[in-house]
Amino acid sequence: MNTLTASPPTRLRSPRRRRVTRGVIFIAMVVMAIVMLYPFAVMLFTSFKTENQYLAGHGTSTQSWHQLASSLPIFQQLLNSTIVCSASIAIILVVGVMAGFSFAKLQFRFANLIFLAMVSAMMVPLQAILIPEYVNVARFGLTNGYLGAVLVYAALGTPFSIFLFTTYFRRVPDELIEAGIVDGLGYWGVLWRLALPMALPAIATVTVLQFIQIWDDLLVGLLFLQNPAERPITVGLAALAAGRTTSIPQLMAGSLVSALPAMLVYLGFQRFLVRGLTLGIDR
Amino acid sequence: MSTSSTVTVPNATPRATRRASTSLLTKRRRRVGVVLTIPAFVLVGLLIVWPILQAVYYSMTYWDGLTTQWIGPSTWWQALHNPTMWRALENNALLLLAVPFALAIPLAVAVMLHQRVAGWKVFRSIYFLPTAISWVVIGLVAEHFFAYSGTLNSLLGDVGISNAHTDLLGSESTALIALGITFIFSMIGTNTMLFLTGLATLDTSLEEAARIDGASAWRIFRHITLPHLSRFIQLAFVMTIISAFSALFSLIFVMTGGGPGYATTTMEFLVYQTGFNQSQFGTAALYGLILFLITAVVGIVQLRLIGANDS
Repeated sequence: MNTLTASPPTRLRSPRRRRVTRGVIFIAMVVMAIVMLYPFAVMLFTSFKTENQYLAGHGTSTQSWHQLASSLPIFQQLLNSTIVCSASIAIILVVGVMAGFSFAKLQFRFANLIFLAMVSAMMVPLQAILIPEYVNVARFGLTNGYLGAVLVYAALGTPFSIFLFTTYFRRVPDELIEAGIVDGLGYWGVLWRLALPMALPAIATVTVLQFIQIWDDLLVGLLFLQNPAERPITVGLAALAAGRTTSIPQLMAGSLVSALPAMLVYLGFQRFLVRGLTLGIDR
Repeated sequence: MSTSSTVTVPNATPRATRRASTSLLTKRRRRVGVVLTIPAFVLVGLLIVWPILQAVYYSMTYWDGLTTQWIGPSTWWQALHNPTMWRALENNALLLLAVPFALAIPLAVAVMLHQRVAGWKVFRSIYFLPTAISWVVIGLVAEHFFAYSGTLNSLLGDVGISNAHTDLLGSESTALIALGITFIFSMIGTNTMLFLTGLATLDTSLEEAARIDGASAWRIFRHITLPHLSRFIQLAFVMTIISAFSALFSLIFVMTGGGPGYATTTMEFLVYQTGFNQSQFGTAALYGLILFLITAVVGIVQLRLIGANDS
């Protein structure tokens, strides 16, 4: 409203034409919103049907929700996902903070070269090393129990974590670190008491990105968690779908449950996600 | 330890003392630096770098997971004559046709969001939301969208093309199309996010000035917005290609299982199939290396993009 009266007289496009354009854009955005919300609508509406109602196309029922727990040990699998996520992220953070601080501030011999090698590891897709990785982990008996999968997730997440923390710690002034050393904090003290508080946004970014990535992952959980009792929810869902015996409404109910935690984390911490994604490109 | 020799300089001049103490500090700093990187070094070294070297060795063996028999570089020659591998590479190449769509649609969406029409923040959240859910879940929904008795056909029926019953996933010639469409959908959120961040760094007064000078919306987009976004488009381009080669496993696993036939088997899925369905670990390791070489080429491009901006 205000902008219309404030617009300079030299503007060639009439306010009316501008309004029409904005109307068209609004309609296009609504259409796009429908497309993007489609999966959620399908999951929600299909989950409130029985198999027959789904095939017939009408009717509602809460049956599939009642039966869900019997076809998918949902609470155990949610717990498994949580355990694997937390343990992996903890390792990724600790290892990444230490290495990032070192690469950024403690110039040792070949530091830059090793940093480059570490960041390059970000580019290695798991599938490329899947076979030796699986055999190594299995040889140590780690495909039973969470540790094998946790280590694989940690290794895959660490290069990005190092990259992010190194970038962050480079902004910490050298004088601050020297002052901390002179005050007798030692390098550990400087890292944990001075540098770390400045890297809190980076910690949030790594945590959110890795949480969504690990929670949503299939391949690692499928191969490195061989014991069905230790399956994460995403793997349980995929295994259930591959079995092709479960009713579709139940699958959709399960999908919704599995998607909920990552969606909540995402909605709560959206800005950290954006920051992590575009780091290194926008300053 | 070794530092004791530098400390015990009894009658040193003040200058020398200073030099000695700096080098002591430097040595300590370096030592701490090395110690702090050891965990990362061990983790990445043992679980990422070492398996690559192992893969090189195993790719030249006959290996069923239990016994290994050395064969030599001829395994590579054999693999290059394997039609299944070429079929997988061809599928990967065809999937790259989805990349322009996975960039153009998010670009249009981001530009629309950037106009800040009523409710744009709500729209933004809606568009980003699918990035949070697993591609396993997206694949499950997509499977029932494309299925013979699925949503696509009832939609087609509603518009009056009821006799055109499609079965995209069931047919060898069209299954890859359904996979490609799902892939495009899955990339929209991430790429829109990237482009929108790029647009946010654009100086709006520039656009405003052009508009006052009477430039059309298209000219403004073409000559101001697009050049400004070039770096973001490059990054999205590389990330989308890498995803096309290494992130489709979940979609393929739930939607098609690689079929019908080998219609949707990509390199990454072939690694899994060859290793875990056929127990040919040596050949699977070799396929993994080929995938590694492909993504390494793309990855070097991305590192250069990041690096160019870093300095």
